[in-house]
Amino acid sequence: MSTNNDAQHDKHRPNVGLYVKVFLALMALTVVTVVISKFHLPRGQAVALGLFVALIKASLVGALFMHLWGENKVVHKMLFITAAIAALTILPILDFVLLARRITSPADVSSQHPGEAHAGEKGGE
Amino acid sequence: MRSHNPAAFMNNPDTHSGVSNAKLGVWLFLASEIMLFATLFTSYIVLRMAASTWPWGWDVLNVPLATLNTAILISSSVTIVMAYAKAYDGDKGGFQKWMAATLLLSLGFLVIKGFEYGHEFALGIGPHTSVFYAIYFTMTGLHGLHILGGIAVNGGLLYMSTVDEHWRNPLFLGRVEGAGLYWHFVDIVWIFLFPALYLL
Repeated sequence: MSTNNDAQHDKHRPNVGLYVKVFLALMALTVVTVVISKFHLPRGQAVALGLFVALIKASLVGALFMHLWGENKVVHKMLFITAAIAALTILPILDFVLLARRITSPADVSSQHPGEAHAGEKGGE
Repeated sequence: MRSHNPAAFMNNPDTHSGVSNAKLGVWLFLASEIMLFATLFTSYIVLRMAASTWPWGWDVLNVPLATLNTAILISSSVTIVMAYAKAYDGDKGGFQKWMAATLLLSLGFLVIKGFEYGHEFALGIGPHTSVFYAIYFTMTGLHGLHILGGIAVNGGLLYMSTVDEHWRNPLFLGRVEGAGLYWHFVDIVWIFLFPALYLL
């Protein structure tokens, strides 16, 4: 007789086949990360692509190795609160840095004081 | 074979939330770790954006060794999850084999990191050299300490599995699961450290 307990048992049963597939995907994505860096893309694109691949890898580990996929909602809520607090404390700092960077950049100074600065003298990174 | 039924353990959480105290505790600990590394990554971003120059990781660090370390850490994530699967099935020999493999891989990671650090120190490079190296040594050093902590916990579990009293304890599987969660977290931190420091 199939009971609720059996269903729960199956839900928690480690899936070895899936672990092997995730392992292969993680290895492939590591190669992709290194190959992307070989193209020597402009820094912005390189950072965006590199972090995007890292995010996919971290999601695979979190969802399937750490069993967050199908984990109790309490754990999901706790991680959401952690991420929200981290974002609330970190984003203002990053915003401040970005603002400070923008108002001191040569391009911005030249737009505010056209007669004093030399536009395009230094083109950022 | 272990005498208890893993499903019985999994389905009898000792909190009303539906998550066992042990697992909830590990997740709370990991939440604090997320905050710790989040602040470090923020420091990295702020320092990097404020610096007038910032080197490409592949110019100043050893990318092949770091890539090898990434492969080692990913492999260790698989071996520890296999150890958990064997513990779940009550297969003591299988658990010990996979946990020993996890320990070997973790030690391999530290040895390779030691080579990297040794080479850098031999060249006179240290945290004092530049802002880049200061944040590089801080982040990889802290991550290395976490690896050491993981080795201690996993080594402890491997030892405990040799003692029948511990192996038969219904809480043993939860301990292995908690250690696995921690180890995967350490892997995730490296997944972000590797491109941030070495490739971008």
